[in-house]
Amino acid sequence: MNLVRAYAIALKTLRSLKHDRRTAGFLVLMPLFMIAIFGYTFGGDIKDVDVVVVDLDAGSANGSVAALIREDLAGRDVLRIGTSEDRDEGMNAVKDGEAWAAIIFAPEFTVRVEEAIEASRTGSSAAPATVEVHIDASNPNIAQAVVAELQTAVQAVLVGYYGANPAITVSEDRIYGEDAEFIDFFAPGVMGLAAMMITFMLSIISFVRERSTGTLDRLLATPATEGEIVGGYALAFGLVALVQSAVILAAAMLLFQVSIAGNALLVLLTIFLLGIGSQGLGFLLSSIAKNEFQAVQFTPLILFPSILLAGVFWPLEAVPDLLRPVSDFIPLTYAVDACRSVMIRGWDAGEIWPQLVVLAGFAAGTLLLSAYSLKKRG
Amino acid sequence: MMEERKTKDFPRSDSASGSSDQVVRTIGLSKSFGEVRAVADLDLSIPRGCVYGLIGPNGSGKTSTIRILNGLIRANAGRAWLLGEEVPVHVNICRIGYMPQEMAIYAELTVLENLELFAGMYSLNKESLAQRADALLDMIDLTERSDSLVSTLSGGMKHRVSLACALVHDPELVFLDEPTVGVDPELRMGFWDHFSDLKRAGKTIVLTTHYMDEAVRCDRVGMMRLGRMIAEDTPRGLMESTGETHLEDVFLHKAREGSA
Ligand SMILES: Nc1ncnc2c1ncn2[C@@H]1O[C@H](COP(=O)(O)OP(=O)(O)O)[C@@H](O)[C@H]1O
Ligand SMILES: [Mg+2]
Repeated sequence: MNLVRAYAIALKTLRSLKHDRRTAGFLVLMPLFMIAIFGYTFGGDIKDVDVVVVDLDAGSANGSVAALIREDLAGRDVLRIGTSEDRDEGMNAVKDGEAWAAIIFAPEFTVRVEEAIEASRTGSSAAPATVEVHIDASNPNIAQAVVAELQTAVQAVLVGYYGANPAITVSEDRIYGEDAEFIDFFAPGVMGLAAMMITFMLSIISFVRERSTGTLDRLLATPATEGEIVGGYALAFGLVALVQSAVILAAAMLLFQVSIAGNALLVLLTIFLLGIGSQGLGFLLSSIAKNEFQAVQFTPLILFPSILLAGVFWPLEAVPDLLRPVSDFIPLTYAVDACRSVMIRGWDAGEIWPQLVVLAGFAAGTLLLSAYSLKKRG
Repeated sequence: MMEERKTKDFPRSDSASGSSDQVVRTIGLSKSFGEVRAVADLDLSIPRGCVYGLIGPNGSGKTSTIRILNGLIRANAGRAWLLGEEVPVHVNICRIGYMPQEMAIYAELTVLENLELFAGMYSLNKESLAQRADALLDMIDLTERSDSLVSTLSGGMKHRVSLACALVHDPELVFLDEPTVGVDPELRMGFWDHFSDLKRAGKTIVLTTHYMDEAVRCDRVGMMRLGRMIAEDTPRGLMESTGETHLEDVFLHKAREGSA
């Protein structure tokens, strides 16, 4: 692999963008357009959100109110409930990203509920009992759904057993995403989506053209190796993806006051890997497409699953069960997850490495396959 | 990582590769695409310093032959050597130039940027590129347009840029696939002047054309039909042996002989 040649190919690819002002402008404006237009889009019904219930409630002679609430929650499918005996263990599950929320019932919960009910009956006053919920609000949709669900269960139990009575409050504590709004949630998603779509399209069209105009043959007849050609393109389009994400990050910070809790460079690294992989994917599909027209036809094939199933605009929890395995096969899923974890939760490489490994594998895999497919001559 | 396709060093000094002044040599070269026999049992032997014309109608297998020699497709049978090294060439690849039949230059880059790109592929340094670019731009008479986007050039100009790209590394053996197709007569004369210059500088040129009248200007011509070589000699030799006065008639003569 001669880096100078790869660099020469990267340079020519970027130069052709420089000469094509409209495309260059599109590359910058398209992500801005996307972040604006999808700004307030909400997703479908959420279900199977992982939460941990830490039920320390000792109950009373009449039983446990916490148990009734848990039963009610379990009767519906919005939350998928795990249990823990230990308060800290429950909180840590949220901190580590294993659960979206920890719902904690204190030991004297039932006693407090009964006191509050008794107090309201006699007209004296007593503080209501509280259910604590510690939430990872990096995904506002999910946070909202968890709290709403818990409130529904509490109301149902109160109405069912004690007549409407404000004896319980839900106290909400955000572990991540203190001030997260929907924009914080979707900015990383749009960034990943834009980087992926645009590098994919640039790549598939460039290579269809390289093939149809004979320039690819010409390059292959020089000392340039397949790896250098593919590597040069990857470098150029990886950089394009980087510039785009920088634009989106800047727009999100300036226009929408999105803040980045973690290391922005880690976000850019994620997008760079995603860009390279998408470039490779574009190359591979370019060998099937006979012309630019056909190349464009591949776009929706890649675009729709990415929009719908990768957790860009609504959480993976809102994806129907049947399609969830598909989500796991979409590289964008991992990129969006990694970017969100860094930007909202402030996670570091130590925590998002699995996603980075998947993306690096995607990039390396498509590049190697591309180089190999070029090498195979008829 | 990726296997180095072309820098790997395995020169094959087979006895079959012939003497070193045969810069192109093939034995029994054949290539089929499904049912179509694009190249059939082709033996070629092209001496150094020669302008060699592969001529024949469309579909006779000229391009396929050149693509095999440049390592872009693999032959089904037979062997080939360029500059003494068996195809696909690795060691000598920097000494070979190739102008594909399609225009094969980047329309979205300037003339100079195209030259720079291909110079980069041959690892030319900045100074030698600058010199080379000046000389080539002068040769193709596009010095003034060196910063124009190729997409804004006329067809003939693009053709000249394509030729310059094939010559940027000053190759000693150059394959030109239909270099003059669709080129106006005046420009075509200019091209042939370049070829004479190259020949004088000791280069070997292998070109294809389906214009028979042009072939007269080659040192040797190989006439191809349906993938086969039906005649090979100097233009004069071909005319004398058949008693025809035009290469066009020589071709028809040989074609009749072949199918008879
Ligand atoms: N990639 C290919 N796939 C299928 N058939 C091909 C391919 N390339 C060439 N051919 C066929 O091989 C024959 C020779 O083509 P070609 O070498 O291009 O001839 P020429 O350059 O003399 O016009 C033609 O019949 C052509 O259709
Ligand atoms: Mg041809």
